Amino acid sequence: MESCNEAVVVQALTYQYHASGPFILRDIGFRIDRGEVVVITGLSGCGKSTLCLCISGLIHHHRNGVISGKIILNGKDTRGMRGPALALEVGMVFQDPDTQLFSPAVEDEIAFAPENLCLPPEQIQERVNNVIDTLGLAALRHANPYYLSGGEKHLVALAAVLALDPPVLILDEVLSQLDSLGKKRVIATLEILRDKGKTIIAVEHNLEALAFADRFMVLEAGKLIRFDRTEKILADQDFLMTRRLV
Amino acid sequence: MFLELRQVGFSYPQKTSPAVIGINLSLKKSGITAIVGPNGSGKSTLTKLMLGILPASEGQIYLEGRNITEYSLAEAGRRIGYVSQNPDLQLFCASVAEEIAFGLVNQGCDVATLEERVNFYLDYFELAAYRKSFPLHLSQGEKQRLAIAAVLANEPEYLILDEPTNGLDAYRKRLLEEYLHKVAELGRGILLVSHDIAFVDRMAERIIALANGQIQSDSNQRGEGYLCY
Amino acid sequence: MLLDPRSKMIMVICISSLALIYNTPARLLQLLLVTLVLLFIFSFNLRVIAGYLKPFVFLMFFLFVVQSIFSPGDRVILALGPVSLISIEGVLAGATVVLRLLVITAAAMLFTTFSSRDFILGLVQWKVPYEIAFMVSTALRFLPLFRDELKNVLTAIQLRGVDLKKVPWGKKMVMYRRLTFPVVYRNMLKAEQLAIAMEARAFRAYPQRTYLRQLNLQRVDYVVILLSLLVTFILIMRYIG
Ligand SMILES: Nc1ncnc2c1ncn2[C@@H]1O[C@H](COP(=O)(O)OP(=O)(O)OP(=O)(O)O)[C@@H](O)[C@H]1O
Ligand SMILES: Nc1ncnc2c1ncn2[C@@H]1O[C@H](COP(=O)(O)OP(=O)(O)O)[C@@H](O)[C@H]1O
Ligand SMILES: [Mg+2]
Ligand SMILES: [Mg+2]
Repeated sequence: MESCNEAVVVQALTYQYHASGPFILRDIGFRIDRGEVVVITGLSGCGKSTLCLCISGLIHHHRNGVISGKIILNGKDTRGMRGPALALEVGMVFQDPDTQLFSPAVEDEIAFAPENLCLPPEQIQERVNNVIDTLGLAALRHANPYYLSGGEKHLVALAAVLALDPPVLILDEVLSQLDSLGKKRVIATLEILRDKGKTIIAVEHNLEALAFADRFMVLEAGKLIRFDRTEKILADQDFLMTRRLV
Repeated sequence: MFLELRQVGFSYPQKTSPAVIGINLSLKKSGITAIVGPNGSGKSTLTKLMLGILPASEGQIYLEGRNITEYSLAEAGRRIGYVSQNPDLQLFCASVAEEIAFGLVNQGCDVATLEERVNFYLDYFELAAYRKSFPLHLSQGEKQRLAIAAVLANEPEYLILDEPTNGLDAYRKRLLEEYLHKVAELGRGILLVSHDIAFVDRMAERIIALANGQIQSDSNQRGEGYLCY
Repeated sequence: MLLDPRSKMIMVICISSLALIYNTPARLLQLLLVTLVLLFIFSFNLRVIAGYLKPFVFLMFFLFVVQSIFSPGDRVILALGPVSLISIEGVLAGATVVLRLLVITAAAMLFTTFSSRDFILGLVQWKVPYEIAFMVSTALRFLPLFRDELKNVLTAIQLRGVDLKKVPWGKKMVMYRRLTFPVVYRNMLKAEQLAIAMEARAFRAYPQRTYLRQLNLQRVDYVVILLSLLVTFILIMRYIG
């Protein structure tokens, strides 16, 4: 493995859900350094979730999709990598809280990833406890995820991915359904993760919510129209207005 | 009073503690009300009780003076438009246009009006490009707009929207706000459930704060509902 | 009582085998009583049992009527002119079928006394490959959830103003036909999405996997397993022989 400082490199990425369908992503290219926090934003339907699925390699499950371009994660070309192997490089919390939980109890849901990593039971227990503490899920520990409220589900989904402990973490609009305490907890957790050198990519509409991010990426109709330092973008009211982001 | 709740309580069968308890609440037929509160405080449960989707285990709920248990789901749904927290759960047609037309068709709306209204909502919520798409293939924010449009198209006299801004960008949020204000000006009532504090502040005249299944505060002053939130 | 899920699985298998072999209402009734006592020991109360069996009541009644009418017999109770409708033999045959179903569903309730994750553990510790264990358990778990989904869709349809009870049959069939494809397709999408979610969390990254919890057969489990097998064997032998 070549040593490199770039966690995610995307080159000339183009995507269609169907060969005869519209281009959802058009010629997207960017680099994200290890330990960076990047926010992806843009109008609904502009391709944010699709881009996240591409980066995490899960887009291959859409069998009719047509993809071209290159995605390099932690120095490894993801083409031809098997799904579970990709999961060791990148973890993703999906936008829909309902379709990513499948265990009979919150604790099992969180233990699922470390179990797959073949950790010894004591270490699994430790990870589960840590994650439950940081996200304040103690009261839900034995609850059935299927019967949780929307926000609780998202929090559990995040917990389950944190237990996987991947070097790159993608969150697709996870803050929106959380209450203010949950938002605070998640943001604090993200800051800790960043300090540990994790790379974080978060999709978010509320520009102020993740103002601690290093850079903002703005998509419009499948194109990357701007990728710039947070201060610069947030200060550029003209840009935000004309792009209808505020 | 349009909706009246008296000592309403509800427990899910799988749970030991109740999801909502001792709720007393009256909602007028007009005006915009918001329910706020932490995750799991019982907001969605409460809205489902109001429509009769869930049966109250304690207390009574009256819709225009008649007990909600005497209404069929369809009757309640025709009077109160309901958009659930996850739009996926209420999209069931084969195309976006059909989804918006569904309620109207079943109310025997004539073809010309139908066409006109469907087009209007497709345009207003910027879904015209997806008119023939399969609803579950849309992005989450598009699904959200579709779910809202499909309910608004029926023009019910009251609206209950559970987290309507989910997945919406700032611009679409503004479009929704403008539309809801217009609806409210026509004298129709709206009940919002939301974590989006700025949105609630811009919209609601009355804010009800819920915690642990109980009403913590009920105020007509903007911003005040968050004191305990 | 804290029994290993595997002990409970054996018990369910034993009871179901007996239910399939027994062919008289009297025997099945005894078996049902034993099953109910077992459920009682595993701290089920009558209300929970009744709630669980409720969805099957209509099916059972239907089966009972059909069996009663269509099983031939000499001792006629109810006749329509020269055609005998219901005979004692028919009623007994109906009762047999219904009791058998009751016993099996009641026994299956023992499965609800442990989580599906323990079910997986039990299978895996008996050397079933974990992929298969997960597949089986997920399928079992999602059957009731599938019913929930269907209920959600029906609720959504009614909330849009369609009174399913009042719509005439012809129109209802047309509507159901149009809705079939989206509803089936959405469940396929969901199933696929869940498979993706599992993979995204490194499911099948390695040929092996570890587990947070471990199941251990206690002495009482060995006793229960042996006893169940022995008693079932003896009962079957006596019944056949
Ligand atoms: N179908 C269900 N079965 C069992 N318990 C449920 C079910 N739905 C919700 N609950 C529980 O009931 C409580 C209230 O849930 P509800 O969905 O009303 O919360 P909420 O206030 O809408 O939360 P959020 O802001 O996250 O949407 C929660 O503790 C939740 O876990
Ligand atoms: N499974 C799918 N099949 C076909 N089109 C899709 C699918 N998922 C998303 N799309 C379309 O791709 C576009 C981008 O979607 P998405 O990436 O989810 O947007 P967002 O930026 O809101 O996350 C949308 O126009 C949506 O309709
Ligand atoms: Mg999205
Ligand atoms: Mg809710």
